[in-house]
Amino acid sequence: MIGRPVDRVDGRIKVTGAAPYAADTKIPGVTCGYLVTSTIGRGRLTGMDTAAALASPGVLAVYTPFNPLKLFAYVQEQNDERFPPLQDTEIRFFGQAIGFVVAETWEQARDAAGLVTATYDQQPPVTEFPGRTLQAFEEVEEVVGTQTVGDITFTASYTTPFQHHCAMEPHATVATWNGDHLTVYTVSQGALLVQRRLSETLGVDAAKIHVLSPHVGGGFGGKWGNWAQVPLACAASRALGRPVKAVLTREQVFAMAGHRPRTKQTLAMTCTEDGKLTSIVNDGVTSRGLGGNWSESVANWTLTTYASPNLRVTKTVVPLNLGAATVMRAPGEANGSFALESAMDELAAQLGVDPVELRLRNYATLVPNTGKPWSGKHLDECYRLGAEEFGWSKRPKQVRATADGDWLVGTGMATATYGASRGQASIKVRLHPDGTASVSGTAADLGTGQYTVFAILAADELGIPVTRVRPDLGDSTSPAAANAGGSNSTCTNGPAVQVAAKAVQTELITLATTNPRSPFYGKEVSYRDGSVSSGGLTMSFGTLLTTCDVGGVEAVGTSPRLVDPEHGFRSFGAHFCEVRVHRLTGEPRVTRWLSVCDAGTIVNAKAARSQIQGAVVMGIGQALLEATEVDVSARFTNANLASYLVPVHADIPRIDVRFLDHSDPVISGLGAKGIGELGIVGVAGAIANAVHHATGVRVRDLPITLDKLL
Amino acid sequence: MRVNVTVNGEQRQADDVWEGESLLFMLRERLGLPGSKNACEQGECGSCTVYLDNVPVCACLVAAGQAQDRSVRTVEGLAEGDQLDPVQEAFVEAGAVQCGFCTPGLVVQAHDLLDRVPNPSDPEIREALAGNLCRCTGYEKILDAVRLAASRR
Repeated sequence: MIGRPVDRVDGRIKVTGAAPYAADTKIPGVTCGYLVTSTIGRGRLTGMDTAAALASPGVLAVYTPFNPLKLFAYVQEQNDERFPPLQDTEIRFFGQAIGFVVAETWEQARDAAGLVTATYDQQPPVTEFPGRTLQAFEEVEEVVGTQTVGDITFTASYTTPFQHHCAMEPHATVATWNGDHLTVYTVSQGALLVQRRLSETLGVDAAKIHVLSPHVGGGFGGKWGNWAQVPLACAASRALGRPVKAVLTREQVFAMAGHRPRTKQTLAMTCTEDGKLTSIVNDGVTSRGLGGNWSESVANWTLTTYASPNLRVTKTVVPLNLGAATVMRAPGEANGSFALESAMDELAAQLGVDPVELRLRNYATLVPNTGKPWSGKHLDECYRLGAEEFGWSKRPKQVRATADGDWLVGTGMATATYGASRGQASIKVRLHPDGTASVSGTAADLGTGQYTVFAILAADELGIPVTRVRPDLGDSTSPAAANAGGSNSTCTNGPAVQVAAKAVQTELITLATTNPRSPFYGKEVSYRDGSVSSGGLTMSFGTLLTTCDVGGVEAVGTSPRLVDPEHGFRSFGAHFCEVRVHRLTGEPRVTRWLSVCDAGTIVNAKAARSQIQGAVVMGIGQALLEATEVDVSARFTNANLASYLVPVHADIPRIDVRFLDHSDPVISGLGAKGIGELGIVGVAGAIANAVHHATGVRVRDLPITLDKLL
Repeated sequence: MRVNVTVNGEQRQADDVWEGESLLFMLRERLGLPGSKNACEQGECGSCTVYLDNVPVCACLVAAGQAQDRSVRTVEGLAEGDQLDPVQEAFVEAGAVQCGFCTPGLVVQAHDLLDRVPNPSDPEIREALAGNLCRCTGYEKILDAVRLAASRR
């Protein structure tokens, strides 16, 4: 089944509305928690008046920094908040949690939250980027070679705005205690991330925390960390002895649940007359929200993309009074590639060389910053196949050379690459008397298709139909598998599924030959296609288990972390697009798209194509629509889905995606690398390049809105 | 207040409904139908789309009281027992489902489109579904699903 298009196993429950998401959890006697948030961007809370809220109907408790639920300090870095909520009076950002109202019903909690008042010792928030500083900028640099100056130089700066994940499902957590055991239904990219965070902040043995996150309504990085509603719902539930449900409003998601930071990159490149790069310097500046620790290494993509004897990247971090900046789909690469892919197009124009040809002349056959060989790289094939299929050779060399009525037509291309890695994962496979096999691990399916990957790989290994495999994800009691992040779920969990499905066959054979009720007792047997055989007798594992009166056999398989200092690991791709810009209004529209991807073995062709298409569309949003604005009070002003524009059906052309069929045997026997993030890398650059080709206008500041084209 | 409403063909009654409560809240929290999703709270994303007297509405923008003596059909009411509606079947087969949070609203909206326009053109599909946001799929497979469902109805 590997590589064929398979219907997702969770499809049926999702089209009927039966799939349970965190906010759908029904627990008798559940109460509702609603967050009170700060209305200033920087300062100190001096007091809060909760009397009216406490007297409001149905209210059970109002927690504030002056009457907090005890939470211990956060120790692990999870790209979320630096401090647990309500434990101090410092206001670091607008929309920070300063109170938690728990009431019998949601309306009562929300109503009472509106009655809480706060007084502040206010200071002017810092939001300028880059601008006046609040703390010393943090700087990091990585240098390869000694810098030389080539014959030709190119320098330009590129900027990107704040963006938000906008996963369709808002963050929700439902907590309930049974004695000293906590059960928590929550949104998460990894059940163990929640368990570890809650263990440290609640001061509870992790073994007594059961996290369930079976279906997650999109993550894109925004559900990696645990935001304020998670510890507060759990701590309030413990204090009140009642289940508590807390769901962030969409505005709260924008303010406190992470965003893509603002960045600026200044690229300086030198090359020989025939276009061979001699040096690339990328000075990257990234914002960091003071609500969190995380910042983006925006320039680092430059270290691994094109061959150059001299490379230097720097990172300057600008702390701002905002909620935590966090990982968002291809963190570093999505913004980083916009600059380098635009710059390569500009340099190609300066040299009079075709943009694809310039990339081939600077093709990195070795990892540019380490000189090591790649585990596998077929990017040149992506360029060539893409150019051929797209009809790149017919592209006019001049800008603003093609018009169709009032629309100026241009084409552009860009490179995509994203790092690959294989971590350690353990998976359990259990064979049941009803002839099904369950496959469990703490992995998450955010819509990525991980359930179906588990089903396909186990079905292949066991030799049974996919429909007889029951994958079980998002449960902290399962063996520890990869969290959903860094595009390494399939790469990491896939081999572990294969190991476990093999191991359980050994367990089954042991049962067959040693159980006195077994018809194979004391015989030599073999396993094939879901059955045990010996001589002329073949029996399915379900019948065998039933005959032996055994409730199941199981095995846990572990695939170790790959430690390979000899190779560089990445997925690769090339994007080609056509953009039309209206001559009079400046409206840009993407009208044609082709992505060719080299991502190792593709496990499920159907889901993989959709993952790339979805990432490309998020990249179209990044290029043309998406930007979160901040006002002088440090508030995200367009913190809703009406004002923060994401692409809709009517904005999108047909997205053509091709996969090269090259397994990567160095990364694992399965040969799969990552696809979740690859698709967005380079998209904004390809579009900026096509806009330039259509209009002659080079936009170096995302998003490319029509005002920049008039 | 008390609301009497027909939901998925069944006469239902909800008590203690607050005057400011949305139809979405009543369906999800009082009538045990969490299929319709709350994603934007302002009628912008379409995740809560349901039929109200055979007209698709964003249930988050309709007051629960407005459903009094009317008929509501949600994503849970599209299948006939185990037999999925052709639109639901097509969404699974075409791979139009990823995280699934937008899916209930999209399935209802697409169902309505095909009731009104049996063989929609691509621009008609894109326009009809433009009010239903999806952050995962890139929309391509959703178009495939609508075309597939149209070919089978």
